[in-house]
Amino acid sequence: MKWFKSLTVAAMAIALVTSTVSVVGAASSLKGKIVINGSSALLPLTLQAANEFKKANPKVKISASAAGSITGPQSVRKGIADIGAVDWDASQDVPGFKKFEGQVAHKVAVIPFAAVVNKNVKVDNLTTKQLQDIFSGKVTNWKDVGGSDADIIVVNRAFGSGTRVNFQMKALQGTDFISKGNNYKEVKSSGDMKTAVETTPNAIGYMDLVYVTSNMKALQINGIAPTEANVINGTYKVWGFGYYMTKGQPDEVTKAFIEYIQSAKFQNGSLKKLKFIPISAIK
Amino acid sequence: MQLETSAQPSILGAKDSDLGVSIKAGSGKTFDRKNRLLFYNRFFRIACIASAVFVCLILFGILFFMFRTGILTFRDVSPLTFFFSTEWSPEEESYGAFVFIFGTFALTFLTLLISVPLSVVIAVFLSEVAPAWLRNALRPILDLLVGIPSVVYGFLGLTILIPLLRDVTGTNMGDGILAAAIVLTIMVLPTISRVSDDAISAVPRKYRDASYALGGTRFQTIFKVTIPAARSGILYGVILGMARAIGETMAVVMVIGNTPQLADALFKPTSVLTSNIVMQIANVPFDSTWNYALYMMGFLLLVISLLMIVLVRLLQRKGAKS
Repeated sequence: MKWFKSLTVAAMAIALVTSTVSVVGAASSLKGKIVINGSSALLPLTLQAANEFKKANPKVKISASAAGSITGPQSVRKGIADIGAVDWDASQDVPGFKKFEGQVAHKVAVIPFAAVVNKNVKVDNLTTKQLQDIFSGKVTNWKDVGGSDADIIVVNRAFGSGTRVNFQMKALQGTDFISKGNNYKEVKSSGDMKTAVETTPNAIGYMDLVYVTSNMKALQINGIAPTEANVINGTYKVWGFGYYMTKGQPDEVTKAFIEYIQSAKFQNGSLKKLKFIPISAIK
Repeated sequence: MQLETSAQPSILGAKDSDLGVSIKAGSGKTFDRKNRLLFYNRFFRIACIASAVFVCLILFGILFFMFRTGILTFRDVSPLTFFFSTEWSPEEESYGAFVFIFGTFALTFLTLLISVPLSVVIAVFLSEVAPAWLRNALRPILDLLVGIPSVVYGFLGLTILIPLLRDVTGTNMGDGILAAAIVLTIMVLPTISRVSDDAISAVPRKYRDASYALGGTRFQTIFKVTIPAARSGILYGVILGMARAIGETMAVVMVIGNTPQLADALFKPTSVLTSNIVMQIANVPFDSTWNYALYMMGFLLLVISLLMIVLVRLLQRKGAKS
């Protein structure tokens, strides 16, 4: 037994020494502080990348927080944050938001979105036109789009939500949402959207594909099912890039961090595990 | 050597003066104690005043900062539009907050309409009717209810109450002012009933005895003597409940539907000041009229609750005089 114990101790000591050496070897000379603010949808990704990046570069401090997408580029403009995470390209005009002058957008991930309905809805597939009509309030009964005779309950995200901006641009092709009505409501977050669609019969809403559960039904759009494979092969169009915005070109540390999150190692590893799609997968 | 001799007398001198001081202290002890007490009293008085001033400063500070940002709204929007227009679509530059102001009043009124009679009945039951063992069991339960976080009420409202309302009434959604009022009622019920309970229990026994002696029944005693005597305490409970109902955000936002349209029906998705602020504040640009308008709504919320408290205080004073 004794030889076994000493062997273990020796093995541990060797492991310790080698790992220390490897860490020291990997530690770069990068030094500095990165402040990240913005989209809550991208926060898990940012946090994961920050942890891994800090391990490799112990002298870099990263603090990440999230509020709404729009706070990202705003904080960057005000100089509060070095990186503003946002669900759309804030260097371009999008419905409801003007572009931010002088900011550079860096793609970090692909986020697929899905139109979802309550389980009692008989419809499995909607065309872009039908989606536009439903979300703009022109079609108000499921029987008009091939379902049973019941009012359509439209659940929408509040104005300013990144998911809403993307869904409006990609699935509705810019059509305006309804804003009033007895069968229309707005929710604050993806979680509330999930609960609302799950519990309200005849409801339709939309959310990040990763939030879709088995208690609701994700609709095919123009006959294409919302799956990762269909996003990658280019047939499912309702997806957007997640962006990091910087004021002009980023400084050395910030640039290294953005390059890390864009690296093949992170994109195909941790990013996939968090159920985002690597940017390189999109042709 | 020189140094030592010169040092000697000074040490002796110090000893002399030490002796003198100790004697002086002995004789002046009562005077010192008086001084000390005087100092403590003064200090405590100043500390108390400072605390009171601090509280007022916080209140006025909040009012001032909300007002300073909120007033910027009126650079772009006329007050008439802001207060009386029902058209709230900031993305198209129309900022009419009447929907939310009306919604807040309507929701508070509806909540109090349901919760006050219920709470008073609960309070009467607790203090007058229930046997001691039941009372001792129920009071802690009500106290625990006060401490439940509002998001829990909201979540239960969303997952249990709204489907229930949908089944019972046959409406499509169930979201609206009635659902919010029911959730708020459950939230303020323990507050109002516990405070009222304490107020009713504090009514002197001789009042009841006098009523019984005059031939009053138990019902007459409770509703004609005990409750009127406890009126100011009950009003105090109502103020507390009302303050909570006006300011409640999380529970309301989950069941009200968040649509900027006038709450002219019980089942119609609508929005109140608090729910609209929390829905939109995270997503608005910093230096926009929209942001200022939300601050203005927050300021209004403050003013409404302050006014209501002042109003109820005035009523209370009037009631006490007559």
